Amino acid sequence: MPVVIPPADPAGLPAPAWLLQILLVFTFILHIVAMNLLAGGTTIMAIAHWKGKSNPFFAALGARLCKALPVTMSLTITLGIAPLLFVQVLYGQAFYTASILMAWPWLLVVALVLLAYYGLYLVQFRPDWLGRWVTPIAWVSAIFILVVGLLYTHNATLNLAPEKWAQMYAQSAAGLHLNWSEPTLIPRYLHFMVAAFAVTGLGIMLLSLLYRSSDSSWADEAKRFGARLFIGATIVQLAVGLWFLFSLPNSFMQSFIGGNTVHTIILWAGVLLAVLAMLVVNRSALGAVALTILAIALMSVTRHSLRGMYLSPHLDVNAIPVNPQWVVFVIFVVLLVAGLGVVGWMVWQFVRGGQAEAQSTS
Amino acid sequence: MEYPFWDVPLLGGGMLIGIIAILHVFVSHFAIGAGLFLVLTEIKARRENDTALLGYLKRHSTFFILVVLVFGAVSGVGIWWAIGLVHPSATSALIHIFVWAWAIEWVFFLVELLAAFIYYYGWNRLSARTHIAVGWVYFAGAWLSLFMINGILTFMLTTGRWTETRSLADAFFNPSMLPSLLVRTAVTIALAGLYALITASAEADESLRERVVKYASKWVLAGISVIPFGGIWYISRIPDQAREISMGGAPVVTLFAAASVVFSAFVLLATLLGPFLFPRRFHVTFAFVIVALGLVTTGVTEWVREAVRKPYILYDYMYSNAVRTEEVQLVYEQGVLGTAKWDLLHEVDRADLLKVGEQVFRFHCQSCHTVNGFNGIKFAVKGWEKDFLDIQLQNLNQLKGYMPPFLGNEEERKALVEWLYSLNNPPQQTARR
Repeated sequence: MPVVIPPADPAGLPAPAWLLQILLVFTFILHIVAMNLLAGGTTIMAIAHWKGKSNPFFAALGARLCKALPVTMSLTITLGIAPLLFVQVLYGQAFYTASILMAWPWLLVVALVLLAYYGLYLVQFRPDWLGRWVTPIAWVSAIFILVVGLLYTHNATLNLAPEKWAQMYAQSAAGLHLNWSEPTLIPRYLHFMVAAFAVTGLGIMLLSLLYRSSDSSWADEAKRFGARLFIGATIVQLAVGLWFLFSLPNSFMQSFIGGNTVHTIILWAGVLLAVLAMLVVNRSALGAVALTILAIALMSVTRHSLRGMYLSPHLDVNAIPVNPQWVVFVIFVVLLVAGLGVVGWMVWQFVRGGQAEAQSTS
Repeated sequence: MEYPFWDVPLLGGGMLIGIIAILHVFVSHFAIGAGLFLVLTEIKARRENDTALLGYLKRHSTFFILVVLVFGAVSGVGIWWAIGLVHPSATSALIHIFVWAWAIEWVFFLVELLAAFIYYYGWNRLSARTHIAVGWVYFAGAWLSLFMINGILTFMLTTGRWTETRSLADAFFNPSMLPSLLVRTAVTIALAGLYALITASAEADESLRERVVKYASKWVLAGISVIPFGGIWYISRIPDQAREISMGGAPVVTLFAAASVVFSAFVLLATLLGPFLFPRRFHVTFAFVIVALGLVTTGVTEWVREAVRKPYILYDYMYSNAVRTEEVQLVYEQGVLGTAKWDLLHEVDRADLLKVGEQVFRFHCQSCHTVNGFNGIKFAVKGWEKDFLDIQLQNLNQLKGYMPPFLGNEEERKALVEWLYSLNNPPQQTARR
């Protein structure tokens, strides 16, 4: 079978490839942090509802997580739009092709997200009406989100395997393929999902800060629970990460263990930051959060380098002609800064309003 | 023909997009108008110290976030998913031409989204003034988001000077951009009233229900009364051929265009004779009837808007089957299968006319036709003899103005004729006879 790659779009790129790559990786980091909180948070919420029947700490944890999850869902979706835009700009040739091969499962993502989202609202708004169905509905939402993650891993790995496309399409044009034969599929998926639980551990520690004055004993327990979750998941992650590393094609793996100095330093610096975060998490939650975000950033850069290794024999983003549109780019940046300013103002008003409300009730 | 073609049986990819898109349009336009409805009504309620009305608004805003933030946002992503799968080349073109326009739209959407959450969770936390300000931020973000999408969407039908200049400004500020913006803004106002009729008619307090029903019906009437003016302006700006298709050139499209006008009139009449004149007797079932009429109107109108763009997917730039106008000569020379990258027939299959014909159909025709489902080719060619099929294919764009020219070479055309003929005359049967 030949390797068939669609040509790059004749419109070219509206900015140099490096700038679009920076935007891609940066917005991906934002999306992935929100996704971690959503995937881990929803699963822990489901577990907490289940254990909460006999345990008041978990009952409160379930209810309090539930309040935060719809916003997290919304942010995950919205922050995912930007990296998906830049992926289509830079790697559309791979993205559209791989997505078409798995069209129905890929479209299923939309349906699962919609149902999971309504599930979260049902659990939050109508727990009395749901009665004993609260826990099952919470589980359905959690499982749907975890399945969406798996479908994303199928899509992402299929994006990186142009040599499989023609074979798959010759077999069937019905869009029902998946990428189960990919050796990195499971470790890659677990690498993201285990991270989700670690980040959610930190998220629960931050959540506990909100209840420090109103429910201090619960807040203390939530803080300990969050730290334990973070440490446990990160230890598992070290093993999963090594599995992922060794499942890579040999030449790629070599470049991360000394073959390429820059790649090696970025990957292992990320690992080191995660280990440091484990060490400081009991002393400073915020410190652990900062270290973890840095670790996620370095891992996202590593992910981007890995994509380059897979695609370099077939696609070269630096060869796509560039027709810069600097004026519109500047308008975008100005609007982004202004937009974030407005968002900051609204959030500040909201937080201030909450404090005023708390004072007036106490 | 640069991407693999996704074969969606019976429904066809276009229909799949249509279903998702119509539902999205119906909710997303409400999302925008509802922003204005909430904030203006809140100002009115606070000025008149009307706590009952304020209570209604709080309940309405729950309905609002459940519809808008969940279904509206996710179905919008759904359209993006579907168009990328069904029309990858056109999606890629829209993405690449408008990268920064999309990025700007994303900024507006982010602001809109967070404002919606803060407005909803802020009823008791924010001061009246701040709460109203957040409502305005929401409406501004939502409308600006429409402003951006509208420029990209209208470009598909009226590419205007862009085809020569290739400038983003020409693409975005295209001939039908402003009239379409006016129509869509009017629709947002009408839909804000329409959805409010549902929540209003479910209110328990009778006098409040009557008041809000009457008030909401005025929004519907105000919105609808602007649509004809915007519509006429819009129709005056679209390409001649598109106008002809909607006014007799293609009977089905003309029928749907007429249905769009008729159903809009139904919505107007139902609102006038129902909630506006008799708000006291208004019932939630009636509200759903008007909403259903509104959905049908949206559906047929969006369908016509899509249909009049034929034979193009991006006017004067790319045909519905993803062949760029500038590539026509190349395809003529190399043939459909010579240019379709994902035609993966083996050499041995090349001798089989039926197999070749089926491949030609897949890459050249199937972006609009299914085999035996929606717009099914099997029914379209029923009773056609081979000679007649051949003549039709040779003069496709002249005989049917809404179809692109057949670009295959002679061998491919003969193969397609054989395959089309075989659909209604299976070979075994013919052999036995």
